[in-house]
Amino acid sequence: MIKHHPKLDLIQAYTQGKLPASLSAAISIHASMCPDCQQLIDEQTELHASSVFENGGVNEVIYETETLSKIFAEADLDAMISAITSDDSVSQSQPVADKQVEINGQTYQLPRALANINHSNFSGIGKISRASLDLGEGDLHSHLLHIDAGGSVPSHTHKGFELTLLLDGTFSDESGEYVKGDFIMLDSSHEHTPISEKGCLCMTIADDALHFTQGLSKLLNPIGKMIY
Amino acid sequence: MQVTNSVMAKRDKTPPKGRYQSSMSKDDSKQLTEWLVAVAEKRDKKAFSALFSWFAPKIKNVAYRQFNNEAQALEIVQDTMTNVWRKAHLYHPEKGAATTWIYTVMRNVAFDALRKIQAKKEDLLSDDIWPLVEGEVTETESFSDYLMDKRLLNLVDTLPDNQQQIVRAVYFQDMTQEQLAKLLNIPLGTVKSRLRLALAKLRQQLDDQSQD
Ligand SMILES: [Zn+2]
Repeated sequence: MIKHHPKLDLIQAYTQGKLPASLSAAISIHASMCPDCQQLIDEQTELHASSVFENGGVNEVIYETETLSKIFAEADLDAMISAITSDDSVSQSQPVADKQVEINGQTYQLPRALANINHSNFSGIGKISRASLDLGEGDLHSHLLHIDAGGSVPSHTHKGFELTLLLDGTFSDESGEYVKGDFIMLDSSHEHTPISEKGCLCMTIADDALHFTQGLSKLLNPIGKMIY
Repeated sequence: MQVTNSVMAKRDKTPPKGRYQSSMSKDDSKQLTEWLVAVAEKRDKKAFSALFSWFAPKIKNVAYRQFNNEAQALEIVQDTMTNVWRKAHLYHPEKGAATTWIYTVMRNVAFDALRKIQAKKEDLLSDDIWPLVEGEVTETESFSDYLMDKRLLNLVDTLPDNQQQIVRAVYFQDMTQEQLAKLLNIPLGTVKSRLRLALAKLRQQLDDQSQD
């Protein structure tokens, strides 16, 4: 059973599209395996949507149309609407790209949120190998991390935070055992030594920027600044 | 963004629903949903204009606050409303308000635009991160594969209106036949027979075409 979930502030930032792609993808993958978080996301989305759109009802369309003509004076409102509606084709839902990775003879199906993200070849030492995900997010580094059966990651801490999302298999560390879907957020105060008895595939996101050393609670502030 | 110490405690409570629905009446919400369904099912341009008038200024405000740039904000409006027009058939009225659905369309457009600016990536990840439809393309019936075919889409357009409506609702909006019967206020048997007729006609026309 999944025991580790993203916190509410991360879920809220996710529903508002304010998180980087790496963290957004990780929350999306977790929610696809965790009905509780999916429900929370749906509720938060509805809450935020109504706070964004709630001013003014349908009866104010006339007033809105005045505002509209001011806003779109140059763009020519009618032209915009008819340009959109003249194309009568309907977007077909794209078949979900079926993306698999093979590592040391083991094949894994990647979740949809990662299907269109390029990654490097896997490389590593002994039973540990990783591939970097090409997301272009500066100090945020995202990887696919594979541990072969019986492998372990040497004890380590992080400058900023480290998220481990278990995509398949299991591993354990000093705090216990983790299962597929667990969303494990550690900050620099945690030291851990993950061991995988039967092997596993994870997505990891680590932030090496110095301003993150105060940990997860400060996570949203620098990202907020980066975005706005 | 507020970080609370009692996140887990808060998570056990459902959000106070009454509070945020107060300023928009049920009638308004119903009207927006009707417009969106009319766009989805009938490609109703008047309904689309009405949606545009209602949402465009609001979307522009939100986008302007986010991007602080007039041209970019207009682009977000245009891209969002284009997706509303082209993806309306993916909206499920029984799953949520029209405002929520259009918000998610806008959020996805803005996310991709922001990524283009910040990460210099045009990978359009938003639809993978927030799929508009749960479990897209997971239909196992072989007939749904045909429905993905553009050829068949054109054929659907040639069906009588009452059959078209039912095919679109069941195959593009994932409504159950029971839901549809209730929505259209017709007996379930009528929905079933119209759907049977429509599918038979589509199969027939596909056969005819493949023999050409
Ligand atoms: Zn969860």
